[in-house]
Amino acid sequence: MPTIRVPVSWLKDYADAHGPADEIARQLHMSGTEVDRIERPGGGWEHVWVGRIAKLEKHPNADKLLLATVDYGEGREKTVVTGAPNLTEGDVVPYAEVGARLREGHGAGWLTLEPKKMRGIVSEGMVCSEKELGLGEDHEGILILDKSVKVGQPLADALGDPVLVLELQPNRPDCMGVVGVARELAAVQRVALREPAMAKLRWDLDPDRLAVRIEDPEGCRRFGAAVLDNVKIGPSPKWMQGRLIAAGMRPIHNAVDITNYVMLELGQPLHAYDADHLRGNVLVARRAHGGESLRTLDGVDRLLAPDVLVIADGQRSLGIAGILGGADSEIRPSTTRIALECASFEPRGIDRTAQKLGLSQQSAASARFRLNLSPELVPLALARAVQLLVEHAGATLAGATEVYPKPWHRPNIKLRFSDVTRILGVELPREESVDALKRLGFQYAESGDTFVVTPPPIRTDIAITEDVVEEVARIVGYDRIPVRVPDGPLPLHERHPLEELRERVRDLLVGFGIQETVSYSLIDPAWLERLAPDGAPIAPDPIRLQNPTSVSQSVARPTLRASLLDTAARNLKHRDGVAIFEISPVYLPRSGDLPDERWTAAFLLSGRAEQQTWLTKPRDWDIYDVRSFILGLDRAIGIGPRGDRSTGVPGLHPGRSVKVAIGDRAAVAYGQLDPRVAERWELPEATFVAELDLHILLEDLQRPSAVVPPRFPAALRDLAFVVDEALPYGDLVAEVRGAAKDLLGSVTLLDVYRGPQVGTGKKSFALRLVLRSQTATLTDAEVEKLTSRIEGRVLHKLGGTIRG
Amino acid sequence: MFARKEAYVADDLSDLAKRAAREIADAADESALEGVRVRYLGRKDGELTTRMKAVSALPAAERPAAGAALNAAKATIEAAIADRERVLRAASLDRSLSGGALDLTLPGRPVRLGRLHPISRTIRDISRIFLGMGFESVEGPEIEWDYYNFEALNIPAGHPARDKFNTLWVAQDSAVALSLARTAAGGATARGGDAARDMGPMLFRTHTSPMQVRIMEQRRPPIRIIVPGRCYRFEATDATHESVFFQYEGLAIDEMMSMADLKGVLYSFARQIFGGERKVRFRPDYFPFTEPSAEIAFDCFVCEGTGQIDGGRCATCAGSGWIEAAGCGMVHPDVLRRVGYDPAKYQGFAFGGGVDRLAGLLTGTPDIRLFYQNDLRYLESV
Repeated sequence: MPTIRVPVSWLKDYADAHGPADEIARQLHMSGTEVDRIERPGGGWEHVWVGRIAKLEKHPNADKLLLATVDYGEGREKTVVTGAPNLTEGDVVPYAEVGARLREGHGAGWLTLEPKKMRGIVSEGMVCSEKELGLGEDHEGILILDKSVKVGQPLADALGDPVLVLELQPNRPDCMGVVGVARELAAVQRVALREPAMAKLRWDLDPDRLAVRIEDPEGCRRFGAAVLDNVKIGPSPKWMQGRLIAAGMRPIHNAVDITNYVMLELGQPLHAYDADHLRGNVLVARRAHGGESLRTLDGVDRLLAPDVLVIADGQRSLGIAGILGGADSEIRPSTTRIALECASFEPRGIDRTAQKLGLSQQSAASARFRLNLSPELVPLALARAVQLLVEHAGATLAGATEVYPKPWHRPNIKLRFSDVTRILGVELPREESVDALKRLGFQYAESGDTFVVTPPPIRTDIAITEDVVEEVARIVGYDRIPVRVPDGPLPLHERHPLEELRERVRDLLVGFGIQETVSYSLIDPAWLERLAPDGAPIAPDPIRLQNPTSVSQSVARPTLRASLLDTAARNLKHRDGVAIFEISPVYLPRSGDLPDERWTAAFLLSGRAEQQTWLTKPRDWDIYDVRSFILGLDRAIGIGPRGDRSTGVPGLHPGRSVKVAIGDRAAVAYGQLDPRVAERWELPEATFVAELDLHILLEDLQRPSAVVPPRFPAALRDLAFVVDEALPYGDLVAEVRGAAKDLLGSVTLLDVYRGPQVGTGKKSFALRLVLRSQTATLTDAEVEKLTSRIEGRVLHKLGGTIRG
Repeated sequence: MFARKEAYVADDLSDLAKRAAREIADAADESALEGVRVRYLGRKDGELTTRMKAVSALPAAERPAAGAALNAAKATIEAAIADRERVLRAASLDRSLSGGALDLTLPGRPVRLGRLHPISRTIRDISRIFLGMGFESVEGPEIEWDYYNFEALNIPAGHPARDKFNTLWVAQDSAVALSLARTAAGGATARGGDAARDMGPMLFRTHTSPMQVRIMEQRRPPIRIIVPGRCYRFEATDATHESVFFQYEGLAIDEMMSMADLKGVLYSFARQIFGGERKVRFRPDYFPFTEPSAEIAFDCFVCEGTGQIDGGRCATCAGSGWIEAAGCGMVHPDVLRRVGYDPAKYQGFAFGGGVDRLAGLLTGTPDIRLFYQNDLRYLESV
């Protein structure tokens, strides 16, 4: 957003404003002109006074130093040692006591004054340069104040003009000038607004002296110029220099200072040329010719692209329109005749060119032209600049001229008083609405309930009813809008199954004691190469950013795994175990459309799971913790992944990982991190991850159904099966379930035994079966029959025998 | 033989009862008492049980008398055991109550506390509060078309307001293939929009506002939605700025929704999220997709709007007394027109605020970068 600096004194030139700077700032802020801060040049000037050099004598021990006795009122006198060349007795100067905080004269830092012995004599404070006071860059000599300034007062009272630093909205280029801000203030405070003094322009400039021409009416909407004779180039008046500095510009000489001053006042940039250096007595707004180049004011030779709008004379370009002037046609100390250019340009063209040339930050002109400045400013700015050149550079006006092929017409906006009530929700008295608009310079006509308004010429942001209502509301104050709870019709809401599942998973993982994390969704692409031992990708190629802020955030993550590994590794530097999860979309490119944003839940367990305490033994996370959480999720919400189960997940330990895929998409994948990957991330070998694709799980969600508590008692049977070492437990349980059908309440694995009692190549699973029927108490005989059916099935299908 | 048997069954019953009574009285604890019970009443070979089994061998005429005598003896013994048991239990309880104190300053087994991330928690709070005012939570894509992020919101290319939204763009080579496919298939057009609409380049949404347009394209008024979600900006990060962050967007459209309603909804939100009698401050602001526009601030819930705390500057509101919470305004008629709503019939408001800032205020987190660094020492503290 554009920032401008407005000294309060300048504002008060045009608005009869009252109240201290803070109140003015608050009023502007509350009516829509954002005040970022108030800068007071005196802010750092504690212990700095207006003093008078009462006596000046040579330092007894040094040729180049002087002893100055400073009188700073009420009989106070101090002696300071100074090397400044520009002091004479009787000068009024800033005097800083011991304890004052000042800028360094020969550096960029700050210092606090202490008594200092110089060649044997103690200097009690010092007299200050512009630079030391933070007023400018001049450190050649002491800042000499006008003799009329009262000695003994704080310097801040004498010089301190508070500066409002405004953050403007791009729709309000009119406030890029002090006068525009003054109009706002006058409207809010209900005080008079004064226009700056303007010369009366005669539009009778002899075309032989200077003609203006627009060759690109798209790029240049209005082109005005004035010629002035008898100009005497010299420094601009002190007050003008002071304001330029306060507004953040460097004074150069009167001609340039005046164009800048007018720009700061009205928002409209102007450019002054040495009229004697113009060839062909013409100023043209045109596109650059092929191969045309220009040395700009910043000393850079630039080759101009053919779409660049330039201001040219009869032979060659003089400057890049609206952005930067050329070095060649600059005003010189010897200049006596000036051609003043003032034009209105198409904002987007200016913006594009300024950005292309990398000048959008530096150019005060383009910062204004890129906004939609009113073309009505052209004659106003010209008249104001002529006025000041006549006043302060001895100039005489030879005449003015302009071309304006397609004049802009201000809109006439028709609205009803009821529109104000309809939009704001409060009924404002008519007179008050009308008065607000008038104070802002709107023209106004009324007929019954409707009225027609025309915005002031410098406002380009008002086009529709709502714009006008906002103007009214701004000036009467947004505080007038009441607080009301809406009582209109309520919409029907939809169900959101994915979000429901996601939040359920989030709650469950928290319930399992896992800490949620939220990490950057933009990651370093190098991370993705570190997720598999051979660097092979574990996820589709990520979406890359055109203009990343840094490499570390240059792709949209296609997996959550890298983020979890990174978070775990950083935390394991100061702890010995982590359990973390994240739920976020991953971004998968899709042909012909926006990427597929797939909500994914992922968790990671690494290192120490439980600490040693007087009640517990220490232990590390292991793969069966992952199994617990997966089974826990299943029990709670039925995510129990059905689909093709296969061992081995890319990037995970091939024998200790599993995924369940539906089609070619993994719904759930989990396991131990491949130890080689763990090493790359400096993670413990015992690191485990799980990833759940919530979209797929949602498609196959089997919500647990309600169970009525059983009415008949259960029978417990412990059975130990001896099976081949290679047989997975899951296969055994599947057979047991198959045999027991609905009479099996639950199975608990009590023990896994390998050893001499079962023989090599074998293992024993000890199961506790809860057997029950929903319709009757099982008799001993029925239980016997059931267990022998189970035993028979296991023997038959798996070759498993009953142990013991 | 029979007499013998009878004598055996009923003989010495009084002696047995006396012995039992003595042993019961002597039982020092519950296990000793259980031993006595087994000795006399045990199912297998308790003394009394054995005699009762023998009753059936008696002549029929003698059985009732013997049985009655035995049953009486059994009842006496059982009652004595029950009495003794009560006494023993009471004594044991007495001992346990007087001597069983445990050190309850000892810690228990460690509990692993899972916690929601402050961002998740804040999003839930926001959604819950707005749900109470009839706002349905909906979500949308983080990677968006330029059309939804900008064009449809009155921010065409080259508009100076784009300065406010420094955009992260999807890389050309990713995008070129996509846009080619798009043109060929005619695929990437808005639902309900005209098929030839140019969606422009692909970007990382700079705000949650695109969902205003998407939802209005899909539904008819009345509309009340809240959209939480991740957003992106090309921005240098500092304590209050992140290039990846979260926002919440609100939109309400019907035939009479006004700025007063907007103020009311956000005022109610402030009271519910910060608590207390909050003050609300509206000031004019500018957004191309709302008119009139406003910035809403609430008086600081820490210093109660004074800007001072313990004589110093309140850190929460930086001494201003106000917490700027959201940008908002009345939905611009052009935005309504573009989704096919008649601005003469429908009107409403939209607002958008930062989840991170809110989460920071609510948790007292001084630097929003802490949210994304995921240092567990921090996360376990909030």
